[in-house]
Order: sequence, then structure tokens, then C-alpha cells
Amino acid sequence: MPSSILFGINNEGRVHTLSTTGSFWRELPYGGQEFKKLSALPHFLWALGGDHQIYVYVHGLDIPIRVREESYENERWYPIEGFSSKLLPTDRHQYSDASGSTNRSMDTIRLPSMAWQWEGDWKLELSLEGQPLDHNGWTYAMDFPSQFHPKKQWTSCVRRRLWVRSRRYSAMNSWCAIAPLHKDATSEPFIDISIGGQSVPGAEEGTMLVWAITNLNRVMFRMGVSTKSPEGIRWNDVSVPLGCEICQISVGSTGLVWASLACGRALVRGGVTRDNLQGSNWIEVRNPAANLRIVQLSVGTNAIWALTHDKHVWFRKGVRGESAGVSEDCAIGSGWIEMVGTMTLLSVCANDQLFAIGADDRRVYFRTEVTQSDLTGKRWKTLTAPLQVSRASSNASLNRDKFHRSIQMLGRPSSMYEPASLRDYNEQSHSAPTAPTSLPLNDASTKFETQPKNPKAWSPIHSVGSVVGMEVHPETDESIWSECSRDSCIFGDDEELGWAEYEAPWSWVEAGACIIEHSQIPNWFTIANGSSIDELDQPWRNKILDALKYRLNDGDKYVDYEMAVDTSSWIQTGEARVSLKKSAYFECCLQLEWQENSGTLTILNPDGASTLASFSLSDISCIQNCSEPGNPRLTIQVPRLSPPEVKLQFASDNSLEEWQTHLHVTCSKIHNIVGKPNDSCVWSVTKLGDIFIWDPTELEKNQLREDEFYVQKYDLSGKESPIKVALRVGCNPGSVITLSGCFSEDAERIGINLDADSTYKIRSKAHVELENTVLHINPRFSDDFVVRNTMIDGKWGKEERDGVMPFARGQEFTLKIVTTEDAFILFVDNQKFCSYRHRLPPQSVSHLSIWGRIQPYRLVINSPQIIIDPYNVFWRQIGGHVRKVESCNIGVTWAIGYDQTAWVYTEGWGGGFLGTMESHNIHPMTDSQDYRVYENQRWNPVTGFASAGLPTDRPMWSDASGKQKRLKDQVKLQSKHWQWISDWMVDFHVPGGVDKDGWQYAVDFPASFHSNKNFTDYVRRRRWYRRCAVSTTGPWQELGHTKLLDVSLEPVRDDLDTVVSVWALASGGQPMIRVGVSKHNPMGNGWEHVSSEKPLSSISCGPFNKVWATEKKGCACVRVGITEDTLEGEKWIGVESPSGGALKQISVNTIGIWAVDNLGRLHVRINVSSSTPQGTHWQTITPDPPVLSSGTHTKCFKQVSVSRIGVWAVTDGGSMVRRLGICPNNPAGSGWDIFPSERWHYISIRAFN
Amino acid sequence: MANDREILRELWEGKLPVCFKLDLDEVVEMQQPDPFYLMVSRVSYFPLVIDKVRKHFLRYVASDKMDQVMWLDYNGQPLKWHYPIGVLFDLLVSVDDLPWTITAHFEKLPEEHIYDFKTKDDMEAYFKSCLKEADVLKFKGQLVSSMQIKDHKQLWMGLQNDKFDQFWAVNRKLMELSSEYENFRHIPFRCYVGDGYKQALVKPVFENGQHKTLKDLLDELFPGKQTKIKTHGINPPLETPLQWMSEHLSYPDNFLHLCVEVC
Repeated sequence: MPSSILFGINNEGRVHTLSTTGSFWRELPYGGQEFKKLSALPHFLWALGGDHQIYVYVHGLDIPIRVREESYENERWYPIEGFSSKLLPTDRHQYSDASGSTNRSMDTIRLPSMAWQWEGDWKLELSLEGQPLDHNGWTYAMDFPSQFHPKKQWTSCVRRRLWVRSRRYSAMNSWCAIAPLHKDATSEPFIDISIGGQSVPGAEEGTMLVWAITNLNRVMFRMGVSTKSPEGIRWNDVSVPLGCEICQISVGSTGLVWASLACGRALVRGGVTRDNLQGSNWIEVRNPAANLRIVQLSVGTNAIWALTHDKHVWFRKGVRGESAGVSEDCAIGSGWIEMVGTMTLLSVCANDQLFAIGADDRRVYFRTEVTQSDLTGKRWKTLTAPLQVSRASSNASLNRDKFHRSIQMLGRPSSMYEPASLRDYNEQSHSAPTAPTSLPLNDASTKFETQPKNPKAWSPIHSVGSVVGMEVHPETDESIWSECSRDSCIFGDDEELGWAEYEAPWSWVEAGACIIEHSQIPNWFTIANGSSIDELDQPWRNKILDALKYRLNDGDKYVDYEMAVDTSSWIQTGEARVSLKKSAYFECCLQLEWQENSGTLTILNPDGASTLASFSLSDISCIQNCSEPGNPRLTIQVPRLSPPEVKLQFASDNSLEEWQTHLHVTCSKIHNIVGKPNDSCVWSVTKLGDIFIWDPTELEKNQLREDEFYVQKYDLSGKESPIKVALRVGCNPGSVITLSGCFSEDAERIGINLDADSTYKIRSKAHVELENTVLHINPRFSDDFVVRNTMIDGKWGKEERDGVMPFARGQEFTLKIVTTEDAFILFVDNQKFCSYRHRLPPQSVSHLSIWGRIQPYRLVINSPQIIIDPYNVFWRQIGGHVRKVESCNIGVTWAIGYDQTAWVYTEGWGGGFLGTMESHNIHPMTDSQDYRVYENQRWNPVTGFASAGLPTDRPMWSDASGKQKRLKDQVKLQSKHWQWISDWMVDFHVPGGVDKDGWQYAVDFPASFHSNKNFTDYVRRRRWYRRCAVSTTGPWQELGHTKLLDVSLEPVRDDLDTVVSVWALASGGQPMIRVGVSKHNPMGNGWEHVSSEKPLSSISCGPFNKVWATEKKGCACVRVGITEDTLEGEKWIGVESPSGGALKQISVNTIGIWAVDNLGRLHVRINVSSSTPQGTHWQTITPDPPVLSSGTHTKCFKQVSVSRIGVWAVTDGGSMVRRLGICPNNPAGSGWDIFPSERWHYISIRAFN
Repeated sequence: MANDREILRELWEGKLPVCFKLDLDEVVEMQQPDPFYLMVSRVSYFPLVIDKVRKHFLRYVASDKMDQVMWLDYNGQPLKWHYPIGVLFDLLVSVDDLPWTITAHFEKLPEEHIYDFKTKDDMEAYFKSCLKEADVLKFKGQLVSSMQIKDHKQLWMGLQNDKFDQFWAVNRKLMELSSEYENFRHIPFRCYVGDGYKQALVKPVFENGQHKTLKDLLDELFPGKQTKIKTHGINPPLETPLQWMSEHLSYPDNFLHLCVEVC
């Protein structure tokens, strides 16, 4: 659960914050302005000041709000003058937008308000679709509404180029006044303000709705408020029915608006939809009883709460926020229900949790047990979070005196002296600023990146603050935000002194930015709750613990005593359904037997009479959840056995998890896996979001070592030639292969080959296999010599046959092949026989093959590198649900969820299905995903578009491909840990665009869809989605609010105390670096934004001074100028995309630069050297037949991960492959080693060195 | 909520060394049986841990007695084996007498003194009734009655097989405070005095909301008397809050078993 903030205003008009991860109220730095009312969404706070003007406060955003202004300069060609800015009268403006419909003359494009600053001057855009343009940036076309091309052709009659300039919202983390309605701000002050609408069904991401009321009871709607435009554009007067005097207004998360009238009734705004955010009409709703006037309303999503003038609390039943825009009944609900308690203020969260302020005690209350099935909750609970007062805050004596004086000097009554009530506006004096904001002058010209790291050194509040003659002391107020988001960069960290606690009467509470679950209540109620953490320090507790520990202090005497209950061996039995060899599932009995240190899993017939399969737990390499909705399933990988995988289906999620736990615990015991995994682990994620790690040091520990070598021995006696042995490691210089055997009496020609993987070429659409043999040793006994040769792409080279024949028929021999930098040296029976210069890179050797009349005995490989046999890899599961994990070689590991939440590994283990058993340092985790179905329709002449298709058509409700039928009401959740968090809704953000009802049109079904219906379009479809969320646990801690697309970590130096360079992409594709990340502080301290003209899709860093990224358009770019002191580097340099493909994902390290494109091909950057760090071109690797057959439905590569020593990739079919034969001469390597397990989605081998 | 895992784990791990001897009068073989040494869990019950002992002694007794219930005595006093083992020890034995020497019998079950637990199911039924009683005291019995058979089974098997996590996965729910109850209604406890035990309805908090301590409980039960308390082999400090004690120091049957010595 991300941390979020509850806001409150105390009786002095000061704004306070309470973080869901904290337990103290803290004051927001006082800027000379008291506030009466607040309304908040995460990061955006709107307030009604004591002067009855409206203020906005944007805070806690890691990414600056930047808007790119564009202006196209258009020119037309004339026979004599050539291109000229003179255009035909029918043409567009000389400076226009992309469509040409509006004038975008550069001097008319101004900053929307003084809260914005330009970042640099107008610049030309010098690339088109990832292809570089010449320095003038012109693109050419035949005529204006057309496709523009980078090159001029003889038909090119018009040209245009794009000017761009970015502006940035610079009033972040400070109060920014909204311009008043009239020049004299006091002529029509405001009396209420409300913000909401962050999840209007189908609306653009970032939409926010702001409503306000003036003291003339006019209703104002703020146009154009969004995350890109926090202050909006202007007020729009929304008329109200005659005689209705609106006093208070509240807008919910779905845009539903309720307002209370002076007469005590309520008005509801109907028809708020994505097309009409203001709504269309007012509907009057009666008050709970004739004599009870509604004085305040608060709107959540499905909950409306009201206060009547007698301070009683009422709940409106039957409201459905998501449908409120289209159904009047859902907007107005069906009746009032009275609740116990008397309150003066109510505030509802977006998820319908309710906060209130008590009528008499003025304390903040929380409504417990509010769930979607019971929105009214159970009872009121008092928040007991004390107030922390810092010396810098208004309540410290010094400031207080100053404040009092200044107030008295101004002779201005203030809400500070009276409990703020909602109806005392008119007596207040007003002194609103005349301009919205003003900025210090010297900032205007500086570029963002060169700005001080601490943007708090100035504040536009100055103009507002001057009203009371006070200035903020921003450098002393860090602590307010530091709890919830270390990176919200408002305040400095130096305030430690002067904290005090006191209880204050509250006048306002605002929960709009607060997200809490009824099941995970923050630590705000400690005193009321019986037990708390404090108990751990109580003397009586420690006395008891000590006494318990020393109960049997001479326990050693009794070590020989048998335990009454033997826990060292046990049998677990159960029922399941099994699928062996991909068969259908059938009933079986499972029996897991554990004795001392080994275990056996046996699968029996349902009657228990005969065994279907039985294997030792040490054969298991991976236990994966492979459930499908409604079918809880486990896959047990036993790669060395036949069948290599066993699938089990269980009756329930509980029974699945019980077995998963047993198998996990026992397999971990066998592999001696306890506690924290090693730093150099390989991390991987399955398609279901489960996280696995493999510890290479386990393999290393178990591998034979002789001197400097890793040794692998094979016993080949009893095997008949021909024989093929997979070596699992190339012949790196220094390695020695020793083969002993005996030639037959009748031996003639013998082959002993070191083979590389075959080359595959596509000829007439089929793969042709061309064999490669690195070293062919061919004793020919009748000719009495030994032929040595190499086969490249199926063609033999020149034979070498000099030297005496060292072998003899019927004799035993020992052949030793030593690899050096430039040759193989062959020894026979310890006598040097010959050397053979490398013709193919020796690293590419993958197999030893032997043919002819020969009996081999023994094969020994001595390799200077670790030999990784994919069949010896054991995957250990770690709790959590994420989309990707990235690690680095000092073990700092981050993960990104499907909802783009960033998580940082806590160095714990367990969680998830393991619960709290066998777990350490785990935290709750959530993630969310969308289910999508397509509604398909075909046009017919009678009824138009209808849900009756042709018999050959796809199902009328289907998946994206149209092959699978998908009915909305039949979509099931993955497991008991998932729950729906929305209803089915039409998706308006589908690639290709949609019309106003969400439809996309096409000529026929398997075609490309577009948003407007053309004459020839006979079919249409629309996408529905429904969001679900999982709650689980794992050794992960949430990083902050900033959503991430991608992340890459790389230590700057090799020691453990090193700083880690962390590059990440925010959800909009903006690059950032994380400051202060190290082994001891894996979360780092804050984000620093790195400018990039273009949004990026993937980023990778390795070594720390080499950062590559892919742009959303598909080309790559390199960051240059990175040094240990300037980890953020200087600038981006573009790198072209490979021909015919747009790059999607990139991974770089010392071994090379690898990327995946949209066609699922791999590309390796070639000729990378210190003089050409960007390389010269891309070499393409298409999936070859071994990869295509590595997993079911494998067609292409999906993701690649590059460490210092290797390249691993994951395919779309879910198989994991490892590139072989990479060496400086052949950076692209040759051939693949394929791992025996499937269903993988993401891999990170960056820690594995 | 019982969330102090360190304490819970330590309690669970409490073991006692026991030396079982067969009543010499019952030996029919020529050879004397060796004593049987066993580490037993303090929180368990004798009927759950003496299978091995019974097997060991079985071939030394008369064949017609073999199907009899094996019962135990200490110093000639039949052991009330429906008490947790730790309670019996704290009541009858001192740490200096370790190992605890217990005599096993196959004959003359003193039915007037101890329950006739023929099978473990009988023991389970008794254990369940204790749980239920405790739950009635804590929450009006809503939890245990709404518990699934599977959960009951898990709780019982957890105790029987010495599986802490398995047991606590279920027991946690029984110890959890809901929004309805900020504290238990009453503390389930038994104060062993002399031959029997005392029970009373004691709330964990005073009328004014202040938490009661162990001392307050003793003052209510033994007004004006000096008492010494022992449970789990330790003397808990008198200032320990009752609510916490009940959550953390209860035996698996959810009762606090306090051995009281009135001075």
C-alpha cells in the first residue's frame, strides 16, 4: 500500500499532514496564509484561504510537470523562388499545429501563468520517426494534408519543420494563488472548493475536476485542470436552477458532484461523463427530513455522506459512482440512513473510507470496517496521532509572537482566534494578491538541469506571504514529507530540535489524497489498541523472556533424551489431479515423504495401488505456480527425468499453497538454502508475476575444483559411438579437454569433433541448417595420418595432415586438447602431437562428438570459467508479485510491478504462499492488472451494427486475437488473493483510437482498426477492461509514489561501499537517476530528473559510465559525459534503429550492447571499442530452430539481460536461453543453451559475475 | 493481538526431561525393563506423548493387560493428564528433581482421580471443550463455533505434531481482537490452589479503561493474601498486564494456568 497523506487544518488555520506510514501530525510550512478549507488529490491540494481566495499546492512529484509546445513552420515551393513562406490562401497558417488547423505562431505561444517557466528557447526537431533529419529539420510532402518524408523528391511541393519548446511548472511545493474572478478580489470571494474526478470512467489519464462556490452562490467549474496543468485555465460559471442557493460542494473520484443548498436540500450534478466533465443538469435531492437541513456533503466513489444542521451524520445509499454519469439513479441513490455520532465535518476518501471531526471534542474520527459490501462501516474510532510542533512552525513561540504582532498591526480579524466555523466568512477582511504569482527573476533564463538541486530556495509564495509580512523558512521544515516520500524534496533534513507534542482542536480534515484499506489501518490509533510495539521494551516483558530462556539451563544433560514428537521425518498425503507428458488431468494421490535429509514425491493412482511417478526431491529444479483462473496448478520441473515436468491441479488455492509450501521447504532443505540469498543471484519472474532466484554460488560450491579450474567429468564407458556430449562451456583459452578411450581392432576412420552450434539460414522461407565444426580430428588408420580441419557453415576448409600418426588400432589412448589464445594444442598420451590455429573462435565450441569404431572411456573438462549446466539450476521462490526485477553485482535489487510501482528488495526472504513461516523482513504488497475483452460487431443492412456476426466471424465477445471466446461475466480471477477493484468499463485508450462510444472500425476482422467509421467499414470492436488487484507479501518495500517503466542498477566501483548508479524511466518515459543508492541504503534518497527531448521506453546502465536507452519511437540513444562525479552525464547522442525494426528493450554491460526490437529479434552492437564507444552498426540475431522449439508457441525473443560475463534472454513462449560463444572477436556469439523450464517472463542476470 | 513471536516461540519450545519407569509389580518378565527417557513439551498433554513409552513397556506386562490404558503416577499420586504437562510439573515437581521420574501402570486405572482417555480422540474432545470455554469467556464463543473443522484439525495436529506455525496460524485468529472487542471480555484462567483450581470472571480492564495486571487479578481472587505465582516454570512479574498475559502466556487450550502458592 503506497503511503499517502491525510490533511487537516487546526483551529489556527494551519495546514497539517498525517502520513499513513507515520503517526504524528506535522505542520505544513507556514507561508503567511491561513486556510479555511482544503480539498486534495494525491500531489494536488486546493485550498480556500483565510482571505477567501483559492490556492493550489502541488507537492511530492518526482517528475517535473513539463509541457512541450510545438509549432510547425510550413513552406510551399514555387518554380522560381523555390521554397517560400508565402502560402496559398487555401493553405494552412505559416506556423500551425500538426493538423494545420490552428495558428501556432511562436510569439503567440505564452506561458499560461507565472507559475510556469520556459526551459530554453525554441529549437528545431531534427529527427522524424527515429530517423535523423538534416540540420534544418525540413520534411517534405506533395501537399499539406499528407505524409511527410525526410528527403526532398521532385514531387515535393510543400515542406514543414517542427519547432519545439518546453515549459515547466515551477511553483512546485509552494502555495500558488489562483487569479481572482474580478480585478478587485474582494468583490466576489470564494466560500467553498472541491477537487476530485481523478477516475472519471474513460477520461484521459491525469484529468482532475475542480468546483468552487463564490459568496454570490455562483457555482464555478475550473476548466482544463489536469496533472499537466495543475492550475487549470479559467473559471466557468455553471448555472444553477433558479432559487437555489448553493453553499457547499463536493466532487467525488468519478466526477459525481453533490452540493448542499441554503434551504437544506441537495443538488446532484447529472451527466458527468468523459465527454462532458462539467455534467449536464442538476437534480434536486430532498433532505433526510423536512426539518433537517443538509449543511455539508462529502462524495467518495460509491459513498455519499451528509451532515445535517443538528450535526447528525447521514449516509446516502444506492449511489454507484462509476455509472453516475449515465444513470440518474446511480447518481442520486435511493435514500438516507442515519448513523450514530455527532460531527461537524465529513471527508470521504476515493475508496470510500470516511473521516470526520467530532462535534464537541473537535477530534478527528475514522469510520472502521468500511468495505465495498458495507459502506457504512461499524463504528467511529478516534485518531490519537499527536501533533508535532517544530521550532520552525507557527506554534513555536518566536514565530507566534511575530505572527500575533503582524496580525494586530494589520488589524485583521483572523480565524486563528476563534474555532473556525463554516459560516463566518462575511466578516472577514480580504487582501488577495492582484496577480496569481510572481517568481524571482533570475530563474527565468537558467536551464533546468543547471538549476540548484534544491528547488526550495525560492518560492512564489512570497507575494502571498507578504500579506502578513512573513516568509517561509523552507530550509527548516524537511520532516513533514520525509516520512511518506523521501523524495518529495520540499524541505531540508536539519530540523531535529524543538519538537513538542500537543493536542489541538481540528477545524478541517481532508481525506481526498489519503488511500487506506480498512484491513491495513495506519498506526494512528495506538493508544486505543491493546498491544503495541511499546510492549517489546517493557521490563516485565523482558523479565518473562529471560526467565523463559533459562528454564532448563542445564539442558545439555538431557541431549540423549528422545524427543516425544519426532519432527525429522514425516509423510504428507493428499489428493490432486495430475498431468504427465502434457496429457489431460486425471485423479491421483500425492505422497510426500521426508526422512532426515531427503525426500520423495510419489504420485499414485487414486486407489493408491500403483505408482504413476516417483522421484527424489533433489531432482526438482523448479516449482512454479502455473494456475489458470479457477484451476490452481503447480508445475514441478524434473528436467533430468522423463517426463521432465509434472503438472498438478488442486481442488483449491489453499491446498495448492499447502503443497507449494511443503515442496518449497523440503527442496530448500535439500539444496541447503537458508536465509538471505547470495548477492550474485540471478532473478527471474514468471508470467504470473512470481519471483524466483537462482544462486550461482550453490552451483559453484558443488562443482569440482582442481587448482584454478572448474572440472566436469563424464563417464562414457558403455556408451556406443556415435556420441554427442554437450560441454556447457566453450573452449576458452586455458581450458583443457581430456578424452581417453580405445580404438577397435577394425577401426578405419574415426572422428573426434569439437562442434559449434549450427548456423541457420533462411532459404525459401525454411531454415537451412549449416553445421560448424571448430576442430575436427580425424585419424585415418589405413592412410596413417590424422586429418585436422574446420567446417564453417557446412563447408570444410583446408585439411592439415602433417605429423606422425600417434594412434594405433586396438590401443588405448589419451587425447588432451589444450586451448590457447591462438591455437588448439593436441597431446596424445602426454606427447605433444601438433597445434592447430583457430579458424573459428574456440569459445563457440558447444559439443564434443565422436564417431567411428572407438570406445571412449572418460571425458574431463577443465575450464577456467564456471560450467553452467542448465539442468543443475535450482530456482527458489521469493514472495511478491511484480513484472520485472533488476539487480546488480553488489546485491541491490529493485522490482517494478504491473501497476508500475517500484519496489526495493529488503534482503529478506519468504512471503507470499509461505505466509509468515520461513520468512524474514517481509511487507505487504499489492499489484494490479487489467482483464480485457473485446466486443465485436458486424454491420448489416437492416439493423446496422449488431452483435450477430457471420458464421465465420470471431465470437462476438473475444480476446484480442479473436480466437478465444471471452464473456465478461465468465472472466475469473487468478486466485483467492486477487479481487476486483472496478467494474467492466469501456476502454477509450486503445491503440489506433476510438470513437466517442469506444468503438474502432475496420473493413473486416483481422485488420487494422481505426477510430472513424469509413464507408467501407463493415465491422467494429471495442475493448472493455476490468481492473483487479492482488494482495500478497514479500521481502519488498515500496519506494515511493513515482511510477516506473524501467530501471537499471550498476555499482560505480567494485567494493561493497560503492555508490550504485540507478537509472530509471518514469511512466511517461522521462529518464531519472536515483541519488544516494548504496548497499546500506538500497532505496536511495531522491530522484533527480534528467532531461530528454523524447520519451524513452527502456534504459540500461553498465558499466556505470555507459548508459543506453531506447526511445519510444524505436531508435537508441547513449548518454555521454558520465563520470563518477556527474553520474547524470551531459547529453544524449542518438543511435539509429536497426533496419526494419524499432527497438523495445536494451541491456548493456562490458560484454556488449544487446537489444530486442518490436519484431522479437535480437540486435548486438558491433565494433564497439574505446574509440567508437557507440559501435558502428547492429548485428541481427533472429530466433533459430533450437530457440523456436525451446518452448510452446515460441516465435521470438521478448527480453534480454546482459551481465559482465553473459547474455541470457527470454522468449515470448516463456523459455529461457543463454548465448554461447561470446568473445571479443565474435561479440554476437553463436548458438544457444536452452534451459529446461518454461513460463518465464523476465530475467536479470546482472548480479551474476 | 498476540504478536510477540519471540515469547510465543519460547513458550512453545519449553521441554521437560522425563524418566518413565514401569511399576515393578506389573512386570511379568524375568528381565526388568529399562527406564525410558523422553523429552516432552510443556505445552502438550501426556496422552499425546506416551505412545513410545507404552510400546517400550508393553512386552513386559501380562498379555491380558496389554490392551489396557497406560496411566501414570508421580510419587504415588496419579497424574491428572488432562492438565497440560507443564502445569503438572509446576504443581508437583521442582526443577531440582529433574529428570522427572514417573511410574507407568497398566492396571487399576484410578478412574475416580483421572479421566479415562482411551484414545487421543478423547483427549481432543476435552481439549476442544477447553478451547470453547475460553472462547466463551473471551468473545462469547463466536469464534470457536464459527471455526471450520479443518481449522480445528490444524490446531490439534499442530499441537500433536509440535508444529508451532501450524498451530499458531489458527490460534492467532482465536487471540485476535476484533473491532468489536478492544480487549477480551474476560480472561480465561485457572488458579491452581491445593488440589483443585479456582476460576472467576475477571475482566482485563477496570471500569475506567485502565489495564489490569496480574496483581489486580490476584487481589480479586485472594483478597488480602500474599501469593506466589508460577506458570510455564517461571514467576511472571506482578505488573504484567492481564490482557497481554492471556494473549501470550496461555497454554494451547487458551487458558492461563497459574499455580498459586498462598503464603
